[in-house]
Amino acid sequence: MTAEGNGPVGRAALRNEDAGLLTGSAAFVDDVHLPDMLEVAFVRSDFAHARVGGVDLSAAREQPGVVAAFAAADLGDYWAPGPLLVQPPPIEGLEFHARTQVPLVRDKVRHAGEPVAAIVAESRYAAEDAADRVRVDYDPLDAVVDLEAALSDGAPLVHEDLGSNLAARAVQERGDWEAARERADLVIGRRFRYDRGAAAAIENRGIVASWDPERGELEVWDTTQAPIPIRNGLAGMLGLSQSKVRVVAPFIGGGFGPKIMMFYPEEVVVPWISMRLGRPVKWIEDRRENFHATTQEREQIHDAEIALTREGEILGVRDTFLHDTGAYDPYGLTVPINSQCTLLGGYDVPAYRSEFRVVFTNKPIVTPVRGAGRQHGVFVMERLLDLAARELRIGPVEIRRRNYLPPDAFPHDNNIVYQDFAPLVYDSGNYAPALERAVEAIGYLDFVERERRGSEDGGPRRGIGIVSYVEGTGIGPYEGARVRIEPGGRVRLVTGVGTQGQGHFTSFAQIVAEALGVGPEEVEVTTGDTREFDWGTGTFASRATVVAGSACHLAATEVAGKAVDLAAEALDVDPEEMELAGGVARVRSDPSRSIGLGELAVRANPLRGAVKPGEKPGLEAAAYFGPDRGATASGVHACVVEVDPETAAVEILRYLVVHDCGRIINPRIVEGQIQGGVAMGIGNAFYEKLHWDGSGQLRNASFMDYLLPTATDVPAVESDHIETPSPLNPLGTKGVGEAGAIPVAAAFAQAVEDALDLPNLEILEAPLSPHRLWELILDATEREEGG
Amino acid sequence: MSQRLPVSVTVNGEGYEREVEPRRLLSDFLRHDLRLTGTRVGCEHGVCGACTVLLDGEAVRSCLLFAVQADGREVATVEGLATDGSELHPLQRAFHEAHALQCGFCTPGFLMSLLPFLEENPDPDEAEIREALSGNLCRCTGYHNIVEAVARAAAEGRGGDG
Amino acid sequence: MRIEGEFTFDGPREEVWELLHDPDVLARALPGTETLERVGENVYAGEMRVGVGPFTAGSYDVEVRLEEQVPPERYTMIVDGRGSLGFARGKAEVELEEEGSNRTRMRYASDLQVGGKVAGVGQRLLDSVGRGMTKQGLEALNEELRARLEGGPGSGEG
Repeated sequence: MTAEGNGPVGRAALRNEDAGLLTGSAAFVDDVHLPDMLEVAFVRSDFAHARVGGVDLSAAREQPGVVAAFAAADLGDYWAPGPLLVQPPPIEGLEFHARTQVPLVRDKVRHAGEPVAAIVAESRYAAEDAADRVRVDYDPLDAVVDLEAALSDGAPLVHEDLGSNLAARAVQERGDWEAARERADLVIGRRFRYDRGAAAAIENRGIVASWDPERGELEVWDTTQAPIPIRNGLAGMLGLSQSKVRVVAPFIGGGFGPKIMMFYPEEVVVPWISMRLGRPVKWIEDRRENFHATTQEREQIHDAEIALTREGEILGVRDTFLHDTGAYDPYGLTVPINSQCTLLGGYDVPAYRSEFRVVFTNKPIVTPVRGAGRQHGVFVMERLLDLAARELRIGPVEIRRRNYLPPDAFPHDNNIVYQDFAPLVYDSGNYAPALERAVEAIGYLDFVERERRGSEDGGPRRGIGIVSYVEGTGIGPYEGARVRIEPGGRVRLVTGVGTQGQGHFTSFAQIVAEALGVGPEEVEVTTGDTREFDWGTGTFASRATVVAGSACHLAATEVAGKAVDLAAEALDVDPEEMELAGGVARVRSDPSRSIGLGELAVRANPLRGAVKPGEKPGLEAAAYFGPDRGATASGVHACVVEVDPETAAVEILRYLVVHDCGRIINPRIVEGQIQGGVAMGIGNAFYEKLHWDGSGQLRNASFMDYLLPTATDVPAVESDHIETPSPLNPLGTKGVGEAGAIPVAAAFAQAVEDALDLPNLEILEAPLSPHRLWELILDATEREEGG
Repeated sequence: MSQRLPVSVTVNGEGYEREVEPRRLLSDFLRHDLRLTGTRVGCEHGVCGACTVLLDGEAVRSCLLFAVQADGREVATVEGLATDGSELHPLQRAFHEAHALQCGFCTPGFLMSLLPFLEENPDPDEAEIREALSGNLCRCTGYHNIVEAVARAAAEGRGGDG
Repeated sequence: MRIEGEFTFDGPREEVWELLHDPDVLARALPGTETLERVGENVYAGEMRVGVGPFTAGSYDVEVRLEEQVPPERYTMIVDGRGSLGFARGKAEVELEEEGSNRTRMRYASDLQVGGKVAGVGQRLLDSVGRGMTKQGLEALNEELRARLEGGPGSGEG
């Protein structure tokens, strides 16, 4: 309907949202200041596992500036475990035990940092002073930290009533693994470990709640990726009608997954306090709290085997793994199911048997963090292929080439169930070209023949790694959007998803601008405010652009249709003859005959006359989009590293990503997502590991000890795109938010092994650290000398 | 802790007089007392750099200083960068054009760290830029576009000089 | 946190045993101890102030229980300290062996769980703080011992 050619979609538009962020005027949750606002400090358990006898708040209440103090008992009937957010998918024989987090600990602490009491004071300083005066009668219990020990007989129990620490068990199977194993020329099995890190958004969590007793309305500002479900949940818990609760997710300083978790204890307690005291209340998480109270990922232990022919053709894979869910499992099985489903990658795997057991431990809750379990699947599969390639002497590139699904295999049904409850069907894909392009761009053959390794005498050595991945993105259930053309000609777009830096104010604007024939800067976008739009779920699973973007497209297309019809009627031409361009509706063959969109908006809302039966006033439409299932994105990562065998220091010299996220709305934003994702992946591969001691204490709960990559650690990421549009949504797009982060550890491990070229060196764990790599090198060298 | 001390400080050219607890952090003072919320707080222990401001022209971590330490001194925050609050500073413009910010939470800290750096090193190479950035954490961008933005701003600054 | 080591006291074993069971001496000698009293048979309680790394000294309520005592050869201390900065709990095994007639060799092995703020942020410093406090405490005890044997100042108290 719009003028053909260079519309806004696909252009590297500069971002609409930058100005306020650059000048500091953009408001984040902690920037909300309300009259008479109180601040909350939470008293958190130092113990990872302990019975709580009593909580004495009397001394705290006496402290200057303290207004109130609450323990679990004070919450009365309001006290209840949180909701199970994601039911387990319909997998036959599945066992699942839901145990969800509580607002304040009543009987037993299950991880260090769990909140026991809330102190409300005139300032955070006063609240923290008073928090030190709270006396909690703890009876410490032995803690469950290690996954295997957790399942052994006699292990302390995180939830006694279950009789074990098993939270869930599921088996998914396609083909006949046993037969594949029988038939194989080569079977390789290893144990792989992936450890926990922190999402570590630079903005910690926070919540401001303000109860207006006169209007009976509650307003909440929350660092959430899901404002609408938070609104709906709070209304239910507090006994308010949904229209009396407004939740705003303003600018959010990075999400990466943990901010989709709900309901955090603080999200339950802070609004209740505001209603109880009739004053606005703020709680802002500090960094130390964030290490204990914000959800994390991703400890798993995999025992996996791959069966192949002599030619390197995959016959089957078996994987049995343990997944750590921490003290509770409110997010259901999303993470382990993602691991299970993502392992298959872009490969033709005729037989697959995957069994996982989910384990409760005395550690913070595990919910998705950028990648959400996909890292593990990719790491295990890619490492198995590398080991097989080494054994069969066919090279890492060739073994992948030989096993990719061919381009005519789509849609490809993997015969197992994905996290969105739908069968894991790849909608579209074309994997080999991405691999060939990466091989070419990184200069793989040249490197292998000429550059490889460098020094032979103990100096730095170079290696190359190349891996691939497939990622289910853009899952349902649905999102919505409303588009309106204002009488002044400006376009307003509102959608329910929150935004945490992904550039939605720009890419959504581009989608709407494309349909309406205006510039993206003409489109004013509002996200994450339930007063403006209150149907939808949230920003997760690389789905905002796919699902909400499609809703924006549908709404804008409907508005465009209305505008064209009105203009056609006014100009007395056939609507087919009209187009929208430059902010007007005009006759294609005679562009001088046109009407501005603003004027059409006025005509659509007449003061006299009649709006025809069956029509709605205004140039406005709301639309919703729910895909049947996720769109399958894919890609290849390649890197060149230099390793110093003496110090085990690794420098990443080049990093390349070739990816397919379907149709690209804004290449600048997509590149940014890739760059940032790889940086997080590098942290996850080589720096970021949470260290727990045997009693469940986190030993590195600060940025001094938990190292995030800095500008000197992350190289420029080269990237290239392949566009295989998805047939599952009107834009043909696929998600990209997690793609950068998922396969980095696998690429890194292959490159480091390649550089060191030690026959006994196998990297079977992530994250590494220089220290751990040094141990592995030493071990491999000793075994070589010994053997 | 009810003792209060007078603080007289100039922020972005404007004078402020307040009474604060001796332990009140400069970051809290700027954000919550003066409502200059562009200065962000990310770690409260001086590592992430989001709270960086200039104290008498020198980049400092406002979460590691007490408000009383700024008494009688000049503070510059991100709010003072854009002239008249509308025209972006060349460094801000370079960040916009190079897509050097995503969530934008850490951005003011980067900008404030970079101002004195570019003044001292008008022609930095990539390694120097990365070194200069290494005291600020960004979780979204992967840094490369920030490096580009700094190079762009430096080039523009030199163009302006010459 | 495991701390193991040996220390030689300049005095006979019975004297050392007695010293190690005297709350007033222990209160004077052990770094950061504000108060220490015998609150029951083989149970001592008191208050300590300990600072680690970025934390200014925080106050801990400490209870020490002596078990498996074989005078004057060995005993086990069960330690439980809790305060606003966290907790330290665990046990320490102490053995005393005569070294000639006038010297006593102590072997100690402690295994402490340290939790809370101190554990998360001061981890790198915990071991050295623990070792430093142990060394300082033992040396101070040896001073007390010498003073007591010489009948010097300090011997009259308690």
